[in-house]
Amino acid sequence: MNCEKIIKLISDYIDKQIEETEKEIFEEHIKICKKCESILNTIEKTLFLSKSIYRNKKIPQKVEKSLYYQIKKIKIRYKK
Amino acid sequence: MTEIELVEKAKTGDTKAFEELVNRTKDKIYNLGIKILGNKEDAADLLQETYIKAYESLSNFEGRSSFSTWLYRIATNFALMKLRKEKYKKISIDELKNKSDGIYKKEIFDWSNNPYFFYKNEELKEILNSAINSLPPKYKTIFILHDIEGLSISEISEILSLSIPTVKTRIHRSRLYLREKLSEYFKNKGN
Repeated sequence: MNCEKIIKLISDYIDKQIEETEKEIFEEHIKICKKCESILNTIEKTLFLSKSIYRNKKIPQKVEKSLYYQIKKIKIRYKK
Repeated sequence: MTEIELVEKAKTGDTKAFEELVNRTKDKIYNLGIKILGNKEDAADLLQETYIKAYESLSNFEGRSSFSTWLYRIATNFALMKLRKEKYKKISIDELKNKSDGIYKKEIFDWSNNPYFFYKNEELKEILNSAINSLPPKYKTIFILHDIEGLSISEISEILSLSIPTVKTRIHRSRLYLREKLSEYFKNKGN
């Protein structure tokens, strides 16, 4: 398999969606190809960094209050 | 009470049951809004609109997917609509395709162990964040659902009514593009 095909498989490999036979070929290629290995390593680092950008936030009280108020309002509308 | 039982009750007009469904899912939906839309105001709008729409169309919910998946579908549709109106400069789909599909022809260097990755973490996060924001809306949404929220490819295909190969391609192209944006930074630093 050439580099173009291996690169197309990188995401499947990361997501564990790769078939067993392809996985072997992929891993063999990565061992000997610096370029593809570099792409795999740097994508993994990119994903690692992406995950650290976002922190889960608590819903502000005002927003939560307004949400329940809107739901109540819509219920009344539907009951009419 | 299970989610399905609550949905059944809510369908009969049981308001407490609907509120319980909101209680169980609201944090997820709000945070999805923050991640895709990038600010609290739009996330608050997304939260409200999602539950209003869910309440209005509850009778159409047939339970083929989980209630949360169904809510995600409503929320992402709203987010996509908002993103399309956004003024943030976005890369075109053609450019994204060219950049990612032609990667094998490019010279590649490995910065994964570059000390800057650790020392300049905040700077890199900013670069990455603006690169994520510059993705076309449908790519950005999928990237966030998969690589940030951890939803599976089949869940995303269900939420967005897209085929599995389409979802996979979009994830792959987004990753290559974002990787490239960070590579540019390291290139400028002389690796």
